Amino acid sequence: MFALRDKITLISGASRGLGRALAIEFARQGASVIINSRRTSAAGLAETEQRVRALNAPVLSVLADVSQRADVERLAGEALARFGRVDVLVNNASALGPTPMPYLVDTPIEEFEVVLRTNVTAPFMLTRALVGQMLARGAGSIINVSSDAGAVGYPTWGAYGVSKAALDHLTRVWAAELEGTGVRVNSVDPGDMDTAMKRASEPDGNASRWTKPETVTPVFVYLASDESARVSGQRFLAQQFLAAQRD
Amino acid sequence: MLELTLSENRAGQSASALVQFVLPPELEAREPAELRGLRRDAVRLMVLPHASGEPIHTRFDALGEFLRAGDLLVVNDSRTLPALLRARDENGEPIEVRLAHRRAEDLWDALLLNGRTHIGRVGMRLDFGNDLHARILARRPDLPFLWRMKFDVCCSSLLDLIYRLGEPVRYTYVPDALPLDLYQTVYANSPGSVEMPSAGRPLTWELLLKLKRNGVGLASISLHTGLSSTRDDAVDARHPNYDEEFHVPATTAQAVNETRARGGRVLAVGTTVVRALETAARADDTLAETRGWTQLRIHQNYRLRLVDGLLTGLHEPQASHLDLLSAFVEPTRLQAAYQACIARGYLWHEFGDMNLIV
Ligand SMILES: NC(=O)c1ccc[n+]([C@@H]2O[C@H](COP(=O)([O-])OP(=O)(O)OC[C@H]3O[C@@H](n4cnc5c(N)ncnc54)[C@H](OP(=O)(O)O)[C@@H]3O)[C@@H](O)[C@H]2O)c1
Repeated sequence: MFALRDKITLISGASRGLGRALAIEFARQGASVIINSRRTSAAGLAETEQRVRALNAPVLSVLADVSQRADVERLAGEALARFGRVDVLVNNASALGPTPMPYLVDTPIEEFEVVLRTNVTAPFMLTRALVGQMLARGAGSIINVSSDAGAVGYPTWGAYGVSKAALDHLTRVWAAELEGTGVRVNSVDPGDMDTAMKRASEPDGNASRWTKPETVTPVFVYLASDESARVSGQRFLAQQFLAAQRD
Repeated sequence: MLELTLSENRAGQSASALVQFVLPPELEAREPAELRGLRRDAVRLMVLPHASGEPIHTRFDALGEFLRAGDLLVVNDSRTLPALLRARDENGEPIEVRLAHRRAEDLWDALLLNGRTHIGRVGMRLDFGNDLHARILARRPDLPFLWRMKFDVCCSSLLDLIYRLGEPVRYTYVPDALPLDLYQTVYANSPGSVEMPSAGRPLTWELLLKLKRNGVGLASISLHTGLSSTRDDAVDARHPNYDEEFHVPATTAQAVNETRARGGRVLAVGTTVVRALETAARADDTLAETRGWTQLRIHQNYRLRLVDGLLTGLHEPQASHLDLLSAFVEPTRLQAAYQACIARGYLWHEFGDMNLIV
């Protein structure tokens, strides 16, 4: 319990799904949380905020589109103004692209670019905006939410899969550059979860086979905590982490 | 004519009057190095020895050659806000509002402009759009071109609106509004500065981490900068003495004390750091955690208690910064060095080239 006592954490895309589950679990573990989503899901973000507040955790909600550079600077600035530092950044917000998911050849160029901007450029920009104050303290943890689709070339998962592969590589290069600084960068493939994104990607899928996002939070708590202080540049599978914990 | 309360330079003539030069317009940096096809840390660097000796002209990323293991670099980690806002008064007249100093969560001192003309009146109500309004409460008696302004929104919500509505403060030599992130140093933390603490802008983490590996320490203070100009040359020429909010954290105080005890040098990145550290210095020339506002004016005859060297940009003729620089180096040598920079085509202002005085 309280693995994240006194940690200031920022979770992008927390109006539903995994982001919300992480905000609530981080709060339960003693963290302060900054949560974010775009205006379209302001109601969902407000609900996440309320559930975090119910745990007596300090919380700040910021409506921002993390694929826009001005919004990223605003989000970082508001977080730092409120809490004075950010110890943990979870790049969770993500775009799936058009659904039903098309072949690459049928993917509009604009849609491809939105997916890349949201899933690769946004984590790059947010990390860039927040890593400096982590480096100045010599401590910090950045967690990028990846996907199986970034490791395997599934048909129709083109733009999204390409973006997650890029995100995993972004993780490796950041980690290599920041080696020895105390700031660590890792990625996590959460596995199949029953969320809005999953249902949009596989409308005919069997939802009963998908786990609830609440079940995969332990690996994120571990990576956010000091327990993983020496772990960097790794790609975690949430299910494997859970299985290892059970052993 | 407004009655300005300006602190006199007790040493008599100010250094800015002693350092005379004409800055050719083509030497005004109009944009950041990255937009000129350079790395952030590839701007030029003039290294000017304190006491005697010729200046060395090199590139900023060679900074490490002039630092020693045991030296401490102290940076200002204040983040830049988009402090230029546009509003309308009760009659719908457009007013440019330049935020200057945050006095409380919903209270700011600000410069009100119509073009370059100072305006403002007690009781004035400003409408910024997006449901943001402010009322002018009073005029600063000591700095009568600044107005105390109360917003009708507070705290995180006010900050959110400032970000959404504002743009970075800029002067005529920067032709276009630039993204706010270009106005941040790589170590920027909490926002509060209305102009970029620009001396640290050329620093990259690649360079900072290399310096660290070579035994150079890094520490930070926060000083939220005010405006560098009122846009009225006559007022600026009298060097109004702004008060700026700062914090010297305990860890930095300790790092400074330890550095000095070991015989290392404390090098300030920017004049704001000199002001903060020297304000917080105690009578025995040590430092403890300090929070407050500084109005300290540093000039040629000021005895620096803690700071041994200064990394700074190139300052305009007449700038009060030149007074501060003259505490580190003789005005005549500064004058000669600046002439050399002009001859070599150094660039001035916040996006320009750099000067290390050690
Ligand atoms: N669900 C799965 O089975 C699965 C599997 C593997 C990996 N993942 C990954 O897990 C993470 C969470 O996914 P999820 O299933 O929880 O997705 P989700 O239910 O669609 O939630 C995504 C969140 O991100 C926000 N978001 C999207 N674009 C944004 C933007 N540009 N700026 C700010 N916020 C934005 C969304 O709110 P708005 O759109 O309203 O802004 C929402 O809060 C993602 O990185 C996803 O790729 C999920």
